[in-house]
Amino acid sequence: MRPDIRMAALTAILLVPLVTSAPAHWRALESAQPAASYTFQGTVHAVNTRTGALELVTGVGMSLRIVRMTTAPTTRLIAAGTAPRLADLKPGDVVRAECRRTTAGLVADRVEKLAVSTP
Amino acid sequence: MTRPQIAVGLVLLALGCQKPVKPGDPLPELSRAERDRFDRGKVVFDSVFTPETGLGPLFNATGCGECHEDPAGGRGDEVEVHATAFHAPVCDPLAQEGGPVIQQHSTPALKQALGIDAEPFPPSATARAMRTSPVVFGRGLLDLVPDSVLLAYADPGDRNHDGVKGRPNRFADGRIGRFGRKAFVPTLREFNAGAFAAEMSVTSPEQPTEEDIGGKPIPAGVDPAADPEITQAQLDFADDFVRFLAPPTPLKLGQDGRHGRDLFSQLGCASCHIPTLRTGYSPVPALANREFAAYTDLLLHDMGPDLADICLGLATPADFRTEPLLDLRGAEHFLHDGRATTLEQAIELHGGEGSAARDRFKTLSAADRAALVGFLKSL
Repeated sequence: MRPDIRMAALTAILLVPLVTSAPAHWRALESAQPAASYTFQGTVHAVNTRTGALELVTGVGMSLRIVRMTTAPTTRLIAAGTAPRLADLKPGDVVRAECRRTTAGLVADRVEKLAVSTP
Repeated sequence: MTRPQIAVGLVLLALGCQKPVKPGDPLPELSRAERDRFDRGKVVFDSVFTPETGLGPLFNATGCGECHEDPAGGRGDEVEVHATAFHAPVCDPLAQEGGPVIQQHSTPALKQALGIDAEPFPPSATARAMRTSPVVFGRGLLDLVPDSVLLAYADPGDRNHDGVKGRPNRFADGRIGRFGRKAFVPTLREFNAGAFAAEMSVTSPEQPTEEDIGGKPIPAGVDPAADPEITQAQLDFADDFVRFLAPPTPLKLGQDGRHGRDLFSQLGCASCHIPTLRTGYSPVPALANREFAAYTDLLLHDMGPDLADICLGLATPADFRTEPLLDLRGAEHFLHDGRATTLEQAIELHGGEGSAARDRFKTLSAADRAALVGFLKSL
């Protein structure tokens, strides 16, 4: 087996358990994601612009959980085609956050503020 | 008589002889395989969990059947506690402090570790709500009413000036909700999976993490069962049991009952309690494209300050989902917290968008009131 193919296979073998052992709601939108990345869609609970921390409310039915993640200078923030700052996110906003797991916890690569319409 | 006429006659005879559906019965047209899943789901539904099989460490009930009982899927006499914080216009479900469902019991191991009998009430809560256990009959049908139907009934700006608005709630991720007294949960599947976790702290592949104890980690050694504490198959069966529970057949109406049904519409009750809804597609023929007696629009309505308690999602403290009027004849308590002991009381406690219909009800003669209540007791 060529070294690059062997390396890709080994990487895949190592990453598969990370994804398959993730909680179901972490995997809800995983199909289009690369291995070890997680997508959460939830309501903003808290934003700390100083530390870059972002907390979302997610869950299943009446069983709700807080998902904590951090944003980095490289995190892409998107809202209806614009590029907001983290400070523009506020509790109650609905966002979709694409994250990866690091030794320091979840780090968001992309956070999109969703337009949730009411009739 | 020709053969086709005989065939039609036999079909009509069969329909006329169809046994009425009793509370707790499955949908009458399930296939053998679906009926088998219903039966296997009832076993899970009736299971009693222990700490060794996943219960706790905080819980409201030891099994689904403890609250939805007599028969399985029916109502019970338990009342549970919910709490959230409303900082208008934002509602905090207090997930970081164990909300919105505040469990009222603890396992012996948790009590020994922390000395608590129940989950601590969230210090940040702005309101407490009491919630009775609803019947879960007919929920599989409600699950399949298309969102577009709900949105067509919504009238948040009261364009028709009837004083009745109606708007959908939304879950944390923005999807339209319909289950629960505040219409917060989008699907029956999620409501059922969430109930295992929120009511019994039984984790499943769909909610694999235990809730904190008032925002603090569970002490080591008090939750002996490995997560997930039920299998996907157990969850699927329990979900099918609830999904396949049929709405009980309404009783036959006499002349007074029919008059009461007419009054129900004339007073404006039917503006929110929409008498019939229709399901959309389902792979289960017994659920697909069915018109059924629902008596709800699954939307939020402002019910006035006297009934107000907690917020949830987009629902303000005064907003409640129109309760489906199913199996009223078996009910002894009414409204979301069971504060009404008669149907007349329940109607008279309607406020907000229900005020006009309530006021018209109050002007009825005693005979007309009795007719309306008689109709409701046929459901």
